[in-house]
Amino acid sequence: MIGSTSSAQSSVGLSGSGALSHVYIQQPPLRCSISGSSGLFYDDGNRFLLSPTSDQVFVWKTSPLSPQASPSVDTIDEGPVLSIRYSLDEKVIAIQRSNHEIQFRNRETGQAFSQRCRSDSESILGFFWTDCSTCDVIFVKTSGLDLFSYEPQLKALRLVETKKINVSWYVYTHESRMVLLASGMQCKTFSGFQFSSGGIIRLPRFDMAMAKAEANTKPVLAEEDVHIVTIYGRIYCLQVDRVAMLLHLYRFYRDAVVRQCSLPIFSSKIAVSVIDNVLLVHQVEAKVVILYDIFSDSRAPISAPLPLLVRGMPRATASTRTIDKDAVHVETKELRNHEAVIYGEGWTFLVPDLICDAVHGNLWRIHLDLEAIASSSSEAPSVLEFLQRRKLEPIKAKLLCLATTRTLILERRPVAMVSRAIDVLVSSYSHSLKMGVSPHKRAVEGEKTSTSGHQHFDGSGTIADEAMSRVEKNGNSNKHAFVSEVEKESQQSMFEDTVNEPIDLTTGGCDISEQESQVASAAVSSDEMYNLVFSLIEEEMTGEPAYLVSIIVEYFRSAASEKLKVHPNLNVMTIQLLARSGRYAELGLFVIHKIFEPSKEVALQLLDSGRQNFQTRKLGMDMLRQLSLHHDYVLLLVQDGYYLEALRYARRNKVNSIRPSLFLESAYASNDSQHLAAVLRFLADFIPGFKNTSDHSSYCRFLNDMNSSIAA
Amino acid sequence: MGLSSTTNINESTQICVFDLKRGQHEGQELDKILFFYPADCPFSTQLSVIGLSEGLITFTRIFSPDDACEVIEAEKHSHVFFEAEPDIWMVMIIEKNKEAEAIWRIDALKKVLNELHSLFVMFHGSIRAILDKDPGGGLVRIHLYSFIMDYLSDFLLGKKLQLPSFRDSLKERGTIQMLTVGREAAIGVQSLVRVVESSCAGNTPCNSLVLFQDLLVSTTLPPDDTVNLFTYAVLRLAPRALSSATSTWSYLRKGTTASQVATDPIFENAGSGIQASRDTSPSRQGQRHHVPRPLQQGKWSKGKDGFLSTDIWGTQVDNLGSVTPTVWLQQTEERVYVCVYQQKHLTIILLVPVSSIVNGEQGISIVKQQFLENASLKILKVEEKLTRGWGGENAYHVAGYRYLLSDSDRNISRASPPGKVTTLTKDSLLALNKLREEVDLEKSRTKHDDLRCEKDLEVCIRARNNAWVIARVTRGKELYMVLEKADETLLYASDAVEKFSIRYCDGAFSLD
Repeated sequence: MIGSTSSAQSSVGLSGSGALSHVYIQQPPLRCSISGSSGLFYDDGNRFLLSPTSDQVFVWKTSPLSPQASPSVDTIDEGPVLSIRYSLDEKVIAIQRSNHEIQFRNRETGQAFSQRCRSDSESILGFFWTDCSTCDVIFVKTSGLDLFSYEPQLKALRLVETKKINVSWYVYTHESRMVLLASGMQCKTFSGFQFSSGGIIRLPRFDMAMAKAEANTKPVLAEEDVHIVTIYGRIYCLQVDRVAMLLHLYRFYRDAVVRQCSLPIFSSKIAVSVIDNVLLVHQVEAKVVILYDIFSDSRAPISAPLPLLVRGMPRATASTRTIDKDAVHVETKELRNHEAVIYGEGWTFLVPDLICDAVHGNLWRIHLDLEAIASSSSEAPSVLEFLQRRKLEPIKAKLLCLATTRTLILERRPVAMVSRAIDVLVSSYSHSLKMGVSPHKRAVEGEKTSTSGHQHFDGSGTIADEAMSRVEKNGNSNKHAFVSEVEKESQQSMFEDTVNEPIDLTTGGCDISEQESQVASAAVSSDEMYNLVFSLIEEEMTGEPAYLVSIIVEYFRSAASEKLKVHPNLNVMTIQLLARSGRYAELGLFVIHKIFEPSKEVALQLLDSGRQNFQTRKLGMDMLRQLSLHHDYVLLLVQDGYYLEALRYARRNKVNSIRPSLFLESAYASNDSQHLAAVLRFLADFIPGFKNTSDHSSYCRFLNDMNSSIAA
Repeated sequence: MGLSSTTNINESTQICVFDLKRGQHEGQELDKILFFYPADCPFSTQLSVIGLSEGLITFTRIFSPDDACEVIEAEKHSHVFFEAEPDIWMVMIIEKNKEAEAIWRIDALKKVLNELHSLFVMFHGSIRAILDKDPGGGLVRIHLYSFIMDYLSDFLLGKKLQLPSFRDSLKERGTIQMLTVGREAAIGVQSLVRVVESSCAGNTPCNSLVLFQDLLVSTTLPPDDTVNLFTYAVLRLAPRALSSATSTWSYLRKGTTASQVATDPIFENAGSGIQASRDTSPSRQGQRHHVPRPLQQGKWSKGKDGFLSTDIWGTQVDNLGSVTPTVWLQQTEERVYVCVYQQKHLTIILLVPVSSIVNGEQGISIVKQQFLENASLKILKVEEKLTRGWGGENAYHVAGYRYLLSDSDRNISRASPPGKVTTLTKDSLLALNKLREEVDLEKSRTKHDDLRCEKDLEVCIRARNNAWVIARVTRGKELYMVLEKADETLLYASDAVEKFSIRYCDGAFSLD
């Protein structure tokens, strides 16, 4: 039951508003206090918040979380409620009535039956629904696990399998599909199972690290000190060691559990949340939260510990609203004070990103303040990497990336740093392109990810990680068997390449990986790179074309290494920059080595910039010819006085779109009667009907005049 | 007068530099002479050569004031004229001798003089400027003498000058040979160039050249300056030049003049000979000014830090190292320090304006340090990439063709590798030499007619041994080729050109 944790701490409130912070909760919360409620329950399989009364249960959907949402109501039988969960298809409500009995009630028919323990020596610790193919519901008992399949026709559960293990307490999250069973004197020996649609995987038994306080006292690990989290599709377990004041991070592999690192903690009470794959470690007593991005090798926190901010606090009590709907009466009058208190007594942290104030019946979702995080670090490339990995607010992350990049350049930061920043953006975009073409691409609704996500333990170890490679050596044979067992869909998460670590995501679900491949992404395309970075800063950089060219070259390099094209206008801009600073030699090399992709825009810009430099102009002409833009090429030849060459070229490439008079004018201007005669003859020979045109007659007259004047 | 009596009567080549503004009074004619090769030639001969040249120049100027005499073809000699600076002329007299393969193309010889002068100006500034500084002429004579003798040492075969003859028709002096690189490698090079040029503090505009083997990869200098530095780099700095300077083979072949100049008997003679006539103390002139000899062979070596160094420009006062050379750039009209870094086949020349370095050598060493810090890794990568893409000596050989392709706008040329050219018969080469002379003539004519317009030109000649000798000129680009054992129809020849043009010249010669 939520809110059962009783903390003796005083509720010294830190007013969040205005305080510097990286995560926040938004007011108003979802208010879910119901008169007569026997408590609040969280059904993480369906992401429901449940509030049972004597004969009803009120149900709020938390995904998406809307403060205005009104609950739906189901009827239930009277009786004590120790725990309540809806089946994954939402047809059945299961209520644990006692340590020995769980009741199942069909929502449509109202028919109910109960399942009891066989012997009195064992008691039920809890239960959960599963989408595992062999069973539907699993009881966790002191003697082990009972796997049942739900048989609606028989109105009974059929026992599929029993796993005998002594259990002191357990931890389960639907997100990970994993249950950890604690046993032993210190409750630090764990057995684990993952129940996914791909099958049941049994973890090797393992011990968690517990420092000894004194020689003879052995601390006992408590349930609230163990958390299962899912980050970037990988499953971890976090364990608080209150004696050592460390938070141990374990990662689950199919054949091993490996401690990855230990993070320092500053409070003996710790809560964790995962928002957009960022791990939040709430130091409850210190009332601060520390953020970690468990993706990069660095285990350093993203930023300094900062309090959680409460946003949108009403200024005056006058704005009080009262919502009255049917039986639901949400008390809002005495909001204010307790809502300004962070890490209050009744706060419970729900998987993965919710905070429930069970005392006052409020529910918030935690949000990351990307802006604040981005501005808190001066190490731009890593900030960009962090932002590029964010999936929850991709647009905001993208805009922040673009702004960060622009600022870097405008502030004339060292080219090497800007180059690294650009590399981050380009490789991320390239990656998103590769992901985008995968056949699994489809739009995924937000909720769907939660209900059907499946993750197995990783099938293989981190190559980069020494600890991992050790594991790999140990369990090679085992692993191969496993990989073949599991249907390995090629759903690849964005992170796979970077960590060399395939994440097994089985067929049944579409989850994180697919969500990642959908349209909205923080990746910055080549067009955006031009339109939202280079073209915006160009004007402000006019004083230093050389610096900007250096940056653009780095971008070219980065794009070329990922086989990406750059925006054609960027070529044009670079030509202008080089020409403006008189660096025609480099300009020539850029063209000759095809660093600029040949295009009409580039050719025309070369011609334009070539007015001060004829070599450059010629490069433009050559490019027109190479692009087979015959019409433009012939026109330019004529314009430059090469009318004979133009005629020959026009004939060879069958350019008929140019007025004959252009050639004639040009030949006449050269004052060479032989040439004029040649042009006339050419046109008369190759243009049908030319002899009847006025051009012919008038230029024949001119020619006669020229000849007679020479004769005279 | 300490004139050497061992005049080499057999010397078939004479080169002289003289100033028409000097020695205009009777009896002072020797004053005109700034340089004469061979140095031990009697003054009477020198004076008669210069007298004839001056007479011709004066005479032809009556008809063509701006562009006087270019060449005199006498029965046994050709006189090649080159006005290096206003009123400062360089004349080369060569003996014609069919048997000795002494068949020349005048334009090629003129290019030798041109190159010589350009390099001289790059290192020492213009001749006129030196003359203005030291009107006596002693200074310029010492400079010219050491510089030209060092330059000619490259042409020396035994004791005889081996100037470019008809056998070198598929070569174009005074042009750059470029390395062809792919787009990605080119971007990598450009990225490197930015890093290299950012080694100087602040916003100092530096320049750089990057060479791979003997081929240019990148330059940020305009064509003329690029040609000069490229030429020098290939002669003295590139890996091949560095290694040949130490090899015994080159000692045998080239060592003669190097040692000749180094031991200085003639050097002294030349100086004193001319100086004496002007009543100035010769030895003091030579000692007062340290004359750097940039073209001296075997003087560059690679240091531990990867930078090339030389003591040509002397050593620092406190013996900390050698003085960093400086050169004069035409474009910016300023002196720049030359820092040369070499990584295997890759040579990077960084040019730092002298004006931007306040504290001389100390400042340069800071630049070098910055250079190493910023660029080392990139240099390794670029070198590796270029080496991987490098096609070897014969990379630009096109089977069946012997060609020369040159772009006069950019001063770039590419030709069949020398080893392949040697397979051509003498007849073909002679025909090509002749054809090139004709084209040179035609080009200079159109230049006079109309400066703006470049004419198209196309010549195909059926030479002996079933060979086609072809020239194509179009809008600043020139293509010469020899096709031996070729089909007899003209169509075949023109098809061959067309194919070549499309495949290797982006269709530049496929205009009709």
